[in-house]
Amino acid sequence: MSSASIFPPWLKKTLLSAETVYRTYDAIKDAGANTVCEASQCPNLNECFSKGHATFLILGSVCTRPCGFCAAVCGQPLPPDPREGFRILKVVKSLAIDYVIITSVTRDDLPDGGAAHYGDVIETLRAYNERLQIELLIPDFKGMRRSIEFVASYSPDIFGHNIETVPRLYREVRPAADYNRSLDVLRWAKESRPGLVTKSAILLGFGEETDEVTECMKGLRSVGCDILNIGQYLRPSGRQISVKRFVEPAEFKDLEDIGYGMGFKSVSSGPFVRSSYNQKEVLRTW
Amino acid sequence: MVKVNLPPLAEGVNKAVITYLYVANGDTVKEGDKLAELVTDKATFNLPSPGAGRVTQIFFKEGDEVSVGQTIFQIE
Repeated sequence: MSSASIFPPWLKKTLLSAETVYRTYDAIKDAGANTVCEASQCPNLNECFSKGHATFLILGSVCTRPCGFCAAVCGQPLPPDPREGFRILKVVKSLAIDYVIITSVTRDDLPDGGAAHYGDVIETLRAYNERLQIELLIPDFKGMRRSIEFVASYSPDIFGHNIETVPRLYREVRPAADYNRSLDVLRWAKESRPGLVTKSAILLGFGEETDEVTECMKGLRSVGCDILNIGQYLRPSGRQISVKRFVEPAEFKDLEDIGYGMGFKSVSSGPFVRSSYNQKEVLRTW
Repeated sequence: MVKVNLPPLAEGVNKAVITYLYVANGDTVKEGDKLAELVTDKATFNLPSPGAGRVTQIFFKEGDEVSVGQTIFQIE
């Protein structure tokens, strides 16, 4: 357990004891669904659950990549479970969710990276409610263009893939990923479906320089990325790489302004911003 | 009488350490008043009072580790 003194004052949240926190928590547990809120030990869980928001994790909870910042278990995963979509559907029904966010671990062990499973889950949810809004946050599918285009063909309301950090730090933060490949994921999705709304996220605090971050933002705009979220990296436990710097709120605000200047349609930038944090509200304001 | 428990704060994070108690036994609080500051590996949290009343019992002291679901305060 860390000591309180390591967190600057702006990294403080108010805990909500609202009944909805427990209702969301119980609905997810009862259905046996996985959430990334759990895998990442997200500090927003309490707040998001109070609003009935959750981001579902598919393709199991064991990841094939050992990213330096992530709390997901890395190892040999089980084959995709065809009941996963139905577990999410159970939560969608019990909480009357109209905006569902789905992400997954990276499955380099599967020939298609898990793209077909994404399709199955989407079809399960849309069979129940064809107007259900769906946001996806996909892995890079090892750069398999066919898999990326296949998932994009479902026309999710938001198609997300996180760049996470600047290219110089990939070796430490995302050793099995590739910066340009991640840009290609967003580029190919957009090219295959020009109307698709694409999104990415950057975490700060890994040791990046501000000009590297703005270069990364330019890179995202060059592939047509529409939405950008920027947040503070927080170390899930002593096993992950340490936080090099706590970025002040004013600096997050500056990056938000820079992002809008570059032409992003939406930029959410702040210490507790995560890839899907409050996205439903962001879309509502469009 | 209201028991104030530690609500779910972050999945996989079942415990937090109390770093500051804003109230003492006998203090009068209103809804939303800060009762305690807690810290996990990822952030600092303030625990607000769910209602108005008088703090009649505090089950932990600063530095103690609390599990999700455990009662920290009793307010009457």
